[in-house]
Amino acid sequence: MLKAENLVPKQRFWAASSVVVFLIIILIGRFFSLQIYQHENFSRKAESNRIRSVTLPAPSGLILDRNKKILVDNYPTYILYGIPSEISDKQKNFNIISQATGINSDILNKNFEKNYRGRFIPIILAKDLTIEQLSCLEEAKNQLQGIVYKQFPERFFSNTIRASHALGYLKEIDRETLKSLGKKSPFKYGDLVGGSGLEREYDNLLQGEKGIEFYEVDAFGREARKITEGKARIPHPGRDLHTTLDMDMQRILEQEFRGLRGAGIVSNPKTGGILAYLSSPDYPPDLFTGLIEEQQWASIIGDAGRPLLNRGSNGTYPPGSIFKMIVMAAILDQDLVKYTWETTCRGYYEFGDRVFKCWNEFGHGAVNLEKALVESCDVYFYRVIQKFSINKIAEYSRIFGLGRATDIDLPSEMTGRVPDRSYMNRRYGRSGWAMGNLLNISIGQGELLVTPIQMVVYINYLATRGNTPKLHFIDLPSDSYEKYPPVYLSNNIWSFLENSMRKVVSSENGTGRAADPDIPDLVIAGKTSTAENPHGEPHAWFIAYAKKGDDMISLVLLVENGGHGGETSAPIANKIFAEYFRDESITMTDK
Amino acid sequence: MFLFQQKRLRNAPYSILIIALILSSLGFFTLYSIASQGGGSGVNIFNKQLIFFVIGIILFMAALLVPRHSIHQYIYILYGLILAAVIIPFFDDKIAGTHRWIQFGLPIRFQPSEFAKWITILALAKYLSDRNLKMGSIKILIIPFIIAVIPFIIVLKQPDLGTALIIMVPVIPMLYWAGARPFHLFIVLAPIISILAAFHVLSFTIWAVLLAVIIGLSKPELWRGVLLYFGNIFLGLLAPMIWNSLKPYQQNRVLTLINPDLDPLGAAYQIIQSKTALGSGGLWGSGWKQGTQTHLKFLPVQESDFIVSVIGEELGFITILIMLVLFTVLILKILKLALDSKDRFSSLTLIGIGSIFLAHVFVNSAMTAGMIPVKGLPLPFISYGGSFLLTCYIFVGLIMNFGTED
Repeated sequence: MLKAENLVPKQRFWAASSVVVFLIIILIGRFFSLQIYQHENFSRKAESNRIRSVTLPAPSGLILDRNKKILVDNYPTYILYGIPSEISDKQKNFNIISQATGINSDILNKNFEKNYRGRFIPIILAKDLTIEQLSCLEEAKNQLQGIVYKQFPERFFSNTIRASHALGYLKEIDRETLKSLGKKSPFKYGDLVGGSGLEREYDNLLQGEKGIEFYEVDAFGREARKITEGKARIPHPGRDLHTTLDMDMQRILEQEFRGLRGAGIVSNPKTGGILAYLSSPDYPPDLFTGLIEEQQWASIIGDAGRPLLNRGSNGTYPPGSIFKMIVMAAILDQDLVKYTWETTCRGYYEFGDRVFKCWNEFGHGAVNLEKALVESCDVYFYRVIQKFSINKIAEYSRIFGLGRATDIDLPSEMTGRVPDRSYMNRRYGRSGWAMGNLLNISIGQGELLVTPIQMVVYINYLATRGNTPKLHFIDLPSDSYEKYPPVYLSNNIWSFLENSMRKVVSSENGTGRAADPDIPDLVIAGKTSTAENPHGEPHAWFIAYAKKGDDMISLVLLVENGGHGGETSAPIANKIFAEYFRDESITMTDK
Repeated sequence: MFLFQQKRLRNAPYSILIIALILSSLGFFTLYSIASQGGGSGVNIFNKQLIFFVIGIILFMAALLVPRHSIHQYIYILYGLILAAVIIPFFDDKIAGTHRWIQFGLPIRFQPSEFAKWITILALAKYLSDRNLKMGSIKILIIPFIIAVIPFIIVLKQPDLGTALIIMVPVIPMLYWAGARPFHLFIVLAPIISILAAFHVLSFTIWAVLLAVIIGLSKPELWRGVLLYFGNIFLGLLAPMIWNSLKPYQQNRVLTLINPDLDPLGAAYQIIQSKTALGSGGLWGSGWKQGTQTHLKFLPVQESDFIVSVIGEELGFITILIMLVLFTVLILKILKLALDSKDRFSSLTLIGIGSIFLAHVFVNSAMTAGMIPVKGLPLPFISYGGSFLLTCYIFVGLIMNFGTED
């Protein structure tokens, strides 16, 4: 049995006991260090472990027209997110989503890969989900682990007008911009900012102030509980943008330009406010709100009509005959010709060994100052321009706003080109150009380039006799109008110009007859232009202002390769004038 | 017989059972908190542990009441049976990637390697007490090592490094208790230390000096001393090759201890979260059921391997301190019983059990506190896990059985 006696010496007991006590004391020391000595340190760590801040999107401000009609609205859409760490079977989930919502699972896959930024960070899978799609998803929710959605206020556009180049779009902030803004910027990756147009110009005003909420999250990053105490902040929507745009006018402009390439701008010369603004072709305004489909992108980028180009502010064109008022103003201001001075037009003009044609090959016969403008006789201008230097012409062009920015509230604009001596020397060399070039410039051709928006300033100068406020979309109180540098001409000259331009529209031989809607008391002064250009058919211009009583509007219409301004552009002006002035009289009698 | 048993039971050291029950209560207290928030692995761990506890008490009675001499008589047969039992899972499908479990077709699975722990102790105790061994000779160490190494290798192959190492733990303390020369035990331990020290140039240098000093002081024959010294150095240089034979997850656990920034979401993540939970608890803890790290599941395997972190977070340093003191009292009590025991078999068994308790407590707590690599060893009486709880209560029964004089 248990015979062997226990003979263990006492010191071995003490040795063993010491080992036990020693090891336990090490443990106690360690726990003391962690729990007492480093307690605060770890408490902070535990706190940051479990608290996550969630930013709440703030709806952007509305964009309204001058009658407070909503041009750009917000509506709640839903964004579908996937959390990679919680998705067990991605393909199966995507197929279910695809069935419930009709979104192609290839798109979901593509977005998943494109937007992936970490196992625990939600990925945007799809935007623009409707309530209907969402309710279909809800039914399949049990099978969809790791798929969540959030409400998001998205831009919603009026379906009667587009005005995409004026209103612009929101787009996700890009990495470079984000970096350049630095750490203090309120923007985070994925935030939407103004990408063009008014959305960009007035981004600061329209952007709301984001809210913030704090959630307790678990180790998997799932939101376990909303924390109510502390420094949570509710989102503040952005401020509304009141514009001078007129929805009805914009609608008609867009209607009339359907199928045409070019630009149309209607403004109020007395206020500088833009009533309608169109660059055609344009793009659907909601193009950038959803996750854009590659095909759609390709079709827009590859479109020969370049729908993304804002022709109004960034397209440069030879002005052609509409430039003639500047030449006329210049020669009258310099007192170089008399009103009665005449010349004969045979349809062409020989200068040195070159022949310069008039647009009317049969010739205008005897032409005086007024007839030259009304019938747009080129030969007259070939003749009178020879009394001038190129720098003088450039000076008057600049006085009327050519060659400089209009400061309109759009993110970018071109300044066009006003050729002067130093420009011509630079381009052709000192002896590489001659009076012949000046002859071309005199009829708005040659090296001269203008943007349609510059022509708006020009026509507004003519409409207001040299005193017109800066162009703007934002609806400003009238005492805060900034003015362009005034154009000082004698009243005789202004009257002569206006009378001549009125005859362009009203006289038997006027080139702009088609613009007259024949409304009693309506005075229209305009000028057509058929601007030759190297890209095919001439561009058809028509610029005009119309007034009735105190009410006045101006317009600039350009149809690229449209042929004769009088035939293509002037009829559009007719519709706009008719709509604007006739409507007004009706509403007035209604009251 | 029954009278005899009654008298014996009256003298049994009930303090051991009381300490065990207090520790178990702490365990249940903590598991309830975890389960109340839907923690654990989906099942209600509190209820499940309660069932095991009841079975544990029954096994405790059995271990307490079975006559010592019967155990002594049949222990080698039991040893043979348990070797067979640890091999059986190898013929079954793997569960959780290992061959640890025997399935009975019941919802409860059985892990035979747990029983290998106490059976190996008893077999060792019988071997070391039966013969009139010459403990002064180094050859006496061979058979006890073989007795432990056989189940060690089988369990290691399952693979279950933690349990395998625990099976080896009692060998040295029991040999020491039985009278083996400390220098001989040092010779046995030296190669292990050589391997571990080889992972760092500085530690290996210190070890090489220490080795020389100890060998020098022990004055062995010159050729033996030289052989011993250079054998160990050689082994240390060989360690990288042995290292490469380890499984990636085992390597990972060691590596992340050396450099916790290596893999923030792997083993180091567990250590960081465990330390955060403990540290945020402070002196008094965040309160029962109030631990954010626990209930938001930042803590990994919180019901078993990392249960100390839960206790530390919710109940504070004060509870950890009381718990460690209770464990110390328990182990010192076992040592005292071993010292006072009249026969060598009982005494050695107690030492074996004490050393296993100590190993579990130290390794588990040190791991939780980020002092040693993450090693899946549960905390006696407290951690969730049926098989080990049964082992613990069998231990308690054996301690009270063997610690009582006839």
